[in-house]
Formats: sequence, structure tokens, C-alpha cells
Amino acid sequence: MVKKIAVYGSYEAKVPVRQRFWKRRRDGILQRYWKRTSRKKTAEMKGRYEFHGKGKDLYKAVVKAHHLMPKGFVDISAEKFLENPEKYGLEGEWIDREVES
Amino acid sequence: MTERSKANPILGYSDTETVKLDFDNMSFKSVKYWASRIGRWFKLRGFIVLKSSNNRYHVVFDREVSWSLNVKIMGWACLQSKHKGLTGYFILQCIKQGSTLRISPKKDKLCPRPVYYYGKQDGQIRSFLEYRHMLREFVRKLKTSPKPQPHNKEGR
Repeated sequence: MVKKIAVYGSYEAKVPVRQRFWKRRRDGILQRYWKRTSRKKTAEMKGRYEFHGKGKDLYKAVVKAHHLMPKGFVDISAEKFLENPEKYGLEGEWIDREVES
Repeated sequence: MTERSKANPILGYSDTETVKLDFDNMSFKSVKYWASRIGRWFKLRGFIVLKSSNNRYHVVFDREVSWSLNVKIMGWACLQSKHKGLTGYFILQCIKQGSTLRISPKKDKLCPRPVYYYGKQDGQIRSFLEYRHMLREFVRKLKTSPKPQPHNKEGR
């Protein structure tokens, strides 16, 4: 019975660059690990918010969603999203690119 | 202002109980035929056809159904119509486990607007149109209101 508002599209966001490194384990195997560097790169991604809740919260959430890009598929109530939007989104810019509904 | 900064996300209506179909590259006559055939076969009470852009239509049915029946209806429609665009839409909705239709404008396309009504309209179609009205209000407000400041972590 839950009706939702979908906010979706393609966006560009600054994401931290990952760097790989190798470390020899105790058993002698050379294991590959990844670490997050402080450098950032611009990546093009697709994402989607699905909000449910009351009208006023929905409007506020939609306004916020214009500046905070979704981290993948985010299905959440608008009220909860507004409490801590950084948890579910990252800063970036929406771009005009063909995307399926 | 650059072309990039003008871009906005797409707003859509999403749920699991309403049967929604997206017919791309199909004539209005064929869309009407398939909508009425699906509506009759599954007793979906009524439907509404929305024109998304040239030769692209959305169909929303009135009866509330479970998600499993919704998938069955969409699958049946794909199988019978052998429509490639509809099959792509169906697969995507199955992955998301919920069906979505666009409501806001997109790139050079306008908001989908109703062009044909058939049968009862007081069930899912009514709630779809209510949400559509609300979302269009959001879009209008966002256009007219001054550009909000970029998001600030401290919320100031």
C-alpha cells in the first residue's frame, strides 16, 4: 500500500580514489588489499531515491535530493532521510543522460 | 549557466499495487488496443493512457493488485504484444521489485499528460493522479523558488 516518489537519474560525483597494495601473509601468499586515499576523482554514476511519507517531508526530501546524489538504490522514508541526509547521499551534480525508469 | 548545471533528476511515481505499462514507439491506436485487451483479460476495471512524447505512451490501470499478479500481468502483456521496449521495462521493474512511471519533464520531453480515459477511475488511477498533481506542484515550486544553497553539512 506504500506509494513512493522516485527521484532518479545519472550524476557526476567526487569519489575517493582507491589504491591497491600487496602484502605478504604469514602463510606466504601475496594478498592484494585496497585502501582509500584522500585523492578524489569525478565518476559518472546512476542512482535512485525512493521516498515515502507525508507531503511536506516529501517536498523537503526532493529539494535535498537535487544536491545530494544517492548512493546506489536508496529506499527510505522522507522523514528519516531528512534527519541525516549525508548518510544516504554524496555531493555531486545531476547530468542529462538517458536513464530507464 | 552551463547545460550541466541545468540538469535535474527525474521524478516518478512508484508502487507495487498498480499495473503500469510503458509503450515506446507504438501508435496510439495500438496502445489503446493493448490496454483494453489487458484490462478485459485481467478485469482491471479501467485505465488511463498518458502521452509521454511522440509515439510513447504510459498506461495505468485502476484495480489494486498484489505484486505477484502485477508481474504476471506485465509478463503476459510482454508475451502477447512481443514489444521489445515493454519487455525491457518489465525486466527493469522485476529487478527493482516495484514499477515506476515518470511524472516530471525529462530533457526535451514534457510531463506525460492524460490523453484517454476508459472505465472506472476511482481506484489506483485516482491515487496516481493525486501523486502526479503533487509532484507537478513540486516541480513548479522548484522552478519558481530561488536556487537553494548547496548542501551544508552543518545544516546552516
